[in-house]
Amino acid sequence: MRRMLSRTDLDALVRDLLGAGTRVIAPVRRKVQGREFVEYAPVQNPEEIALDGSQPVRPLKQVVFPPTETLFNYKQDKGLVQIQEAPTTFSDTLVIGARPCDAAALEIVDRVMDWDYHDEFWFGHRQATTVVAVACTDSDESCFCTAVGLSPESTRGADWLLIPAGSSFEVRVVTPKGEALLESNKSRCPESDVPEAGKASSAVEEKVRANLAMNPAKLQEWLGAHFEHPLWQKIALRCHGCGACAFVCPTCHCFDIVDELEGVGRGARRRNWDACQPALFTLHGSGHNPRKDQSARFRQRVMHKFSIYPSRFGEILCTGCGRCIRVCAAGMDLIAILAEIGQNAEEAGSTL
Amino acid sequence: MEELRELAKKLLQEKQVNAVVGYECDRRGVRPAFVDDPAGCDRLVFDHRCVQNLPAYLSPRRTNVAGLGRLAVVVKQCDARAVAGLIRESQLKRENLVLIGVRCGGVAANPNESRELGAETLALRCYGCSGTETAMADYVVGEPKTVPAAGGDRDARLAEIEKMSPEERLALWKEWLSRCTRCHACRQVCPMCFCERCVAEKTQPNWIESSPHIQGNFSWNVTRALHLAGRCVDCGECERACPAQIPLGLLNRKLAKIMSARYGFAVTDDPSTPAPIGSYRLDDGQEFIL
Repeated sequence: MRRMLSRTDLDALVRDLLGAGTRVIAPVRRKVQGREFVEYAPVQNPEEIALDGSQPVRPLKQVVFPPTETLFNYKQDKGLVQIQEAPTTFSDTLVIGARPCDAAALEIVDRVMDWDYHDEFWFGHRQATTVVAVACTDSDESCFCTAVGLSPESTRGADWLLIPAGSSFEVRVVTPKGEALLESNKSRCPESDVPEAGKASSAVEEKVRANLAMNPAKLQEWLGAHFEHPLWQKIALRCHGCGACAFVCPTCHCFDIVDELEGVGRGARRRNWDACQPALFTLHGSGHNPRKDQSARFRQRVMHKFSIYPSRFGEILCTGCGRCIRVCAAGMDLIAILAEIGQNAEEAGSTL
Repeated sequence: MEELRELAKKLLQEKQVNAVVGYECDRRGVRPAFVDDPAGCDRLVFDHRCVQNLPAYLSPRRTNVAGLGRLAVVVKQCDARAVAGLIRESQLKRENLVLIGVRCGGVAANPNESRELGAETLALRCYGCSGTETAMADYVVGEPKTVPAAGGDRDARLAEIEKMSPEERLALWKEWLSRCTRCHACRQVCPMCFCERCVAEKTQPNWIESSPHIQGNFSWNVTRALHLAGRCVDCGECERACPAQIPLGLLNRKLAKIMSARYGFAVTDDPSTPAPIGSYRLDDGQEFIL
């Protein structure tokens, strides 16, 4: 038996939650100076929610890891420093319409956020957030989730997965948090005996598969053995060294911590998104930079995602969302780069 | 195209240059290409998808590109304005560079544009462009082309904003700039943002808050726009690169209009034209001095 949810009932569910004071975040259509795009944003009304499958320009990570977050405020008075802790209660949030690649990223990044240090802010937001993902009904030439072990119907990181079926959705409950959401909305999700009409997104999945085939284990092995390889110099020439790829990446999680004055003797300590592509990221106080040019910096990005993180946590730090490809002004194309490295790895097969 | 490829081949074979910076096709459209062997010259293309402003790679801060040695660069007339800017500001010596001027019939707003060039796809900066090649070029390639007539007034969107009250304008920019996450793509793609250490990276004192909150974002975006007054080459790359969809070009365009009204300066590919920031004239306006 499958549970179905109509768009009307989904809207009613959203209205209930909004009425109860829950923050609801969903893909919303925007138009700025003729440029149309979709972004995850808080909604006041369920009609704003765009579930047609367009990928939001920025990933979902901003909901649990805001671009800037105050860690604490401080006051300084004659050598005495007073700390005012930031609030540790996090507002209840429901995300509707997460892309499966965005939802999966949350679970992947959990690993590092609970590694040598338990990140209270990350997990505070995580625990307060329920994620309802929607299976993809379309893909483009930058999608490659299937190459990193996910799919357009992946349930990873989601509490519910909705699978579009005509004007309704099939509801797949994934986690205890998802069970709780179903419990309070059971009458909206009636059981249906309509047989499954085959995998709804298999056409999309096939399309994504055609973009990139990859052998992650071989890739990791090759990367580990080729820290110095002329390929890095060649690839990185066109890279501008900005943080666009990292800031639209659902799995990039590096941050910078700064103290900012807010008047005489008081200020705030904040953490802000940071990225490994700008030179400043590794610039030492002495003036020395261990990553001396863009090739070293771009290599780091690939190594971290496909070699370092996998060897430490057994997870690829990439969900194949393709945003880095779509936003890059220089045409850096991770699919093409992974394909090229993959080919090198194949050819090097016997010598490894 | 053959003419461009043959020329690039010749320059490399005769060792006049170590590498040619041009355009090549990729999976999705067109991207910058760095060709250092004659056999690779067949990759070079030039068409209406060649949007990118390649002189951005000539900034001295690009140490890996500088490491290639002497370069030839493919330039549209508008791109040559960036070369002129870099020469004017002593970042580049003309004699250290070979410029391949391409005759350009306008480019699309997006290098992955699959449609033909027309009023709907034409980049804003091509509105009203004559399409003539730059006088700076050492070589000129391609047949003469005509830029398609644009769909409207280049500055229509600026005029809309100028009509607003200061409060309305502030609200609009607050909404737009709240999306900025300080990835600095605008700065990194800019050929005129060549500082080795950007003011935004200075911490003692911290002139510009690095946090992407609204005051930090105003601080950064307004400072960058002001630093480019009379220097911006109007290539529109900052706006194209912005992953937050902020219409940054509006700020630069407004400042260009002010520079034109106050100092009679318009962006040019003539490196001998002095820039207002680096020159002094007795008739410069000075009513702001008390």
